Amino acid sequence: MAAVGGGGLPAYALRRLLLAIPVLFGVSVLVFAVLHLAPGDPAAIMLGAQATKEDVERLRRDLGLDEPLVVQYLNWIGQVARGDLGRSIPLGRAVLPEVLLRFKATLLLTAGALAIAVLLGLIAGIVSAVKQYSWLDRMSMGVAVTGVSLPVFWTGIMLIIVFALQLRWFPSSGMSSPYGSGVADVLWHLVLPAVTLGTASAAALARLTRSSVLEIIRQDYVRSARAKGLAERAVIARHVLKNAVNPIITVLGVQVGFLLGGAILTETVFSWPGLGSMMVRAIQARDYPLVQGGVLLIATTFVLVNLVVDLLYAVFDPRIRYD
Amino acid sequence: MTIRRVVTLSFVILAGALASGADATPPKDAVVIGLLAEPVTMDPAQVTDLNSARITKRIFEGLVAQELGSYKLIPGLARSWDISKDGLIYTFNLRPNVTFHDGTPFNAEAVKFCFERQLNEQGPYYKTGTYPYVKGFLGNVQSVEVVNPLTVQIKLKSPLTPFLQYLAHQSLFFYSPDALKKYGKDMVKNPVGTGPFKLETWEPGVKVVLTRNDQYWGGPPKIRQAIYVPIIEAQARLAAIKTGEIDLTIDVPPDSLDSLRKDPNITVAEANSSAVWYVTLNTRHPILKDKRVRQAMNLAVNKDAIVKDILKGTAIVSTGPMSPVYGPFHEDKTARYPYDPEKAKALLKEAGYPNGFEITFLVPESGSGMQQPVEMGTVIQAQLQAVGIKAKIQTMEWGAYLKKYLDAPDMAEMSWNPSIGDPDHVTYMLLSSDRFPPAFNAGFFQNARVDELLRKGRTTVGDAERATIYKEAQRIIADEAPWIFIDHGRQIIIHRKRVQGFKLHPNFDLVLSQVWLQ
Repeated sequence: MAAVGGGGLPAYALRRLLLAIPVLFGVSVLVFAVLHLAPGDPAAIMLGAQATKEDVERLRRDLGLDEPLVVQYLNWIGQVARGDLGRSIPLGRAVLPEVLLRFKATLLLTAGALAIAVLLGLIAGIVSAVKQYSWLDRMSMGVAVTGVSLPVFWTGIMLIIVFALQLRWFPSSGMSSPYGSGVADVLWHLVLPAVTLGTASAAALARLTRSSVLEIIRQDYVRSARAKGLAERAVIARHVLKNAVNPIITVLGVQVGFLLGGAILTETVFSWPGLGSMMVRAIQARDYPLVQGGVLLIATTFVLVNLVVDLLYAVFDPRIRYD
Repeated sequence: MTIRRVVTLSFVILAGALASGADATPPKDAVVIGLLAEPVTMDPAQVTDLNSARITKRIFEGLVAQELGSYKLIPGLARSWDISKDGLIYTFNLRPNVTFHDGTPFNAEAVKFCFERQLNEQGPYYKTGTYPYVKGFLGNVQSVEVVNPLTVQIKLKSPLTPFLQYLAHQSLFFYSPDALKKYGKDMVKNPVGTGPFKLETWEPGVKVVLTRNDQYWGGPPKIRQAIYVPIIEAQARLAAIKTGEIDLTIDVPPDSLDSLRKDPNITVAEANSSAVWYVTLNTRHPILKDKRVRQAMNLAVNKDAIVKDILKGTAIVSTGPMSPVYGPFHEDKTARYPYDPEKAKALLKEAGYPNGFEITFLVPESGSGMQQPVEMGTVIQAQLQAVGIKAKIQTMEWGAYLKKYLDAPDMAEMSWNPSIGDPDHVTYMLLSSDRFPPAFNAGFFQNARVDELLRKGRTTVGDAERATIYKEAQRIIADEAPWIFIDHGRQIIIHRKRVQGFKLHPNFDLVLSQVWLQ
C-alpha cells in the first residue's frame, strides 16, 4: 500500500479522538435525561405490590434518587470522569466490569455476524455484478431483498424452530452448553444468532457490492486491463475490487453500528449473554447506572469504529490523505 | 483464492463444532433448569424477583419453612418456637450444630446480626445493600435478643400474626456474618448460606451452578448439581426442553402444551398457584362508585372464555381475591359472576346507565405475572362494549404502567403473586383502606366491615378463628366487586422424565432437595 501523508494520519486520529469527548459528553446528557424523564421508578418496580410507602421512600433515599436531577447527573458524571460507572441498582454490582464482560459476548456475536455478512454479501454481490442479469444474479438479488426485509426476531425464531427444534443441528439458545465448554462449543452456539444477525447486513452488502462493482466494471481502465489479455479473475481481483472497496467499507462501518443495535434483539431471542439482552432488562427495571454505562460504552465503540473506517479509506485508497 | 480458502476453513470449523457440540448430553447427576431470566442478586435480603428467589432459596434458609406443596409452616433453622399470649414475644429454639457453607456457626448471634444489618441504619453493615422489604417485614420488630447461643427472642411493637410467615420469606433468610464482613457490597455475587446447595460458579448471563452441600443438616440432596440457564424466548425454552438440552423449565407457549403432554420423554406438572389476575375498578370514579355498575362489569366479562381461549387452560376462573391454594382460608361460596350480559344490562339500567358509559382502561404491554395483558384487555373491552360500556384502552410499557397504575386510573389490569403464604398478604395488601396509593389498593376500595375484619385478621392467633374472619371478608369483597375478578394462573412446569420426585409449590418456587435423576 502507498504511504500515507507524512505525520498527517496520527495527528488526524488524535484530533478526531479529542472531538469524541464533546460527543460522548452530549451522549451522557441525552441518555441521562431520557432515562430520568421517562415515567417509572426503579424503587417501585423492584418492590411491586407489597411495597409499603416507607420502603419506597427509604429505597429511593438509599439509591440517591431523592436528589434533584441536576445533582444526580453531576454525581454520576463526576464518578464517570474518575472511571467509575457506579453500581447497578437491582444487581448491586459495579457497572464497569459488568458491561465490559457483556460487551465481549456482543463483540463476538457482532464479529460472527459481520463475517457472515461479508462472506455472503461480497460473494453474492460480485457474482451478481459479473454475471449481470443471469439467473444467479436474479436469485441472489431476490434473496437479498428478502433478507433486508426480514425482521431479526422473526428470522431468529424461525431458525430456532427449524434448526434447533426440528433438525436439532444447533442449540436453541445461550453461548455455551450448560455442562460443556471450549471454543467449538461456543462456535456451535454462535451459528444461529450470527446467521440471524448477519442476514440483513449480508443482503445490504450484496446489493451495494453489486452496484459498486458494476460501476467500476464499465470503466475504461478495466477494458484496457482486459484488452491487454489479463485473465477475468485477475481483472476483478486487482482492478475492480480495489476500486470498488471504498463505498463497501463505508457501508461496513455503518453496518457495525447496525449490528450492535440489531444485537439487542438477536441476543434477546437467543439469550446470548451480551450487552443488548442485559440492556433490555436494565431498561425495564429502570436500572439507571447500568443503562447509562452501557449506552456510553456503545457510543464510544461507535465513535471508534467511525474513526477506523475513515482511516481505512486512506489505507485502501492512496489518493485520500489526511494532512 | 483466499476467499475460497476462507470458505473452506469456515466449513471445516463449523463441521467440527457441529460434531463436537452435538455430542453434548446432560450429565447423569445434574439437573439443568431453564429460567426466564438470570438471577439478579444472590443476597436473599435484596431479592425482589422470582428467578433470584428460585436460586437463593436453595442456598439460604430462614427460621421457619413452608411444607413442600402448601403454605403450612414447619421448622426451618428453628427447631421449635413459642409465641407469648399477648402475641408480642416470639422465642425460637435454634437447631444445634448448623454451620454456614464457609464454616461459620449458625446461632442466635447470627440471627441478630442478619436482622440488624437491615434494621439498623447506623449499623456498620447497613450499607452493604438496599433492603426492599425491611419496613414491611421488620418494621414492627422492637428488638432481637440473644438469650443463649441456641435461643433467640424477637419482640414485636404490636401483635402481627403473619409475622411467622414473613420469617419464611427469603428476605429474612440468613447469610453468614463472617462472609458478609469479608465481601461487603460484593456479597451479592458470593452467597454463603446454610442451605442444601452452595454456589459453585456464576457466569453472568450464561449460567449459575449450584453444588450440593454434603454437610447439610437435613441430609445432602440426591442430585449433585443444579445448573440454571437463562432462556428468554419461550420458543427457545420449548426447543431446549424437547431436545433435552435442559431438564426442567417453565412458561412455554400455551399452545405447545398438548404436544408436550403427548411426548413420551416429558412430564407436564400442573398445580394451582396463589397468583391472582384482576382489573382494578376505581371506586371513587363517579360512575364506578356504584356497586351495581361494578357487578355488571363482572357479569359482562366471560372469564371462562378468557381462560379457555386466550390462556389455553393455564389458569382457573377467579371468584375473589384469594385462590384455592389458601386451603382453609379460601372462601368457595363467594358471590359468583357467571357470564350474563343480559343481567349486566339490567343492572346498568337500574344504576341509571341504560346506554352504558365511556371509560379509560389501562393495559400494560407485558409485565411480571401479567399473562397476556393485551389480548385479555382486548377481549374484556369487546365484552364490555356488548353491554354498552365503551372502554378506551391505553397501553404502555411496564415501568411506566406501574406509575400510572397508582395514579387513580378508571380501570386497570393488575396481577399479584404473593410471596408470603398468609391470607393477609392478598387481602390486606391489596384491599385495605390502610393501603391506598402509593401502596397497592389502587381502586381506593373502602368498606368499613372489610377494614375491620382485615385488621382483626392480622392480630388474631389461631387458624380456625382467622379462617372465619377471612371467609367473611372474601364474601363481602366479592359482593362489593372492587375488581373484575378474572383468573388465578396455574403453575405449569415441564420436565424430562429422568427428573423424578419433583413437586410444585404454590408460590412458583422450584424446590430440588427431594428430586432425583433416573
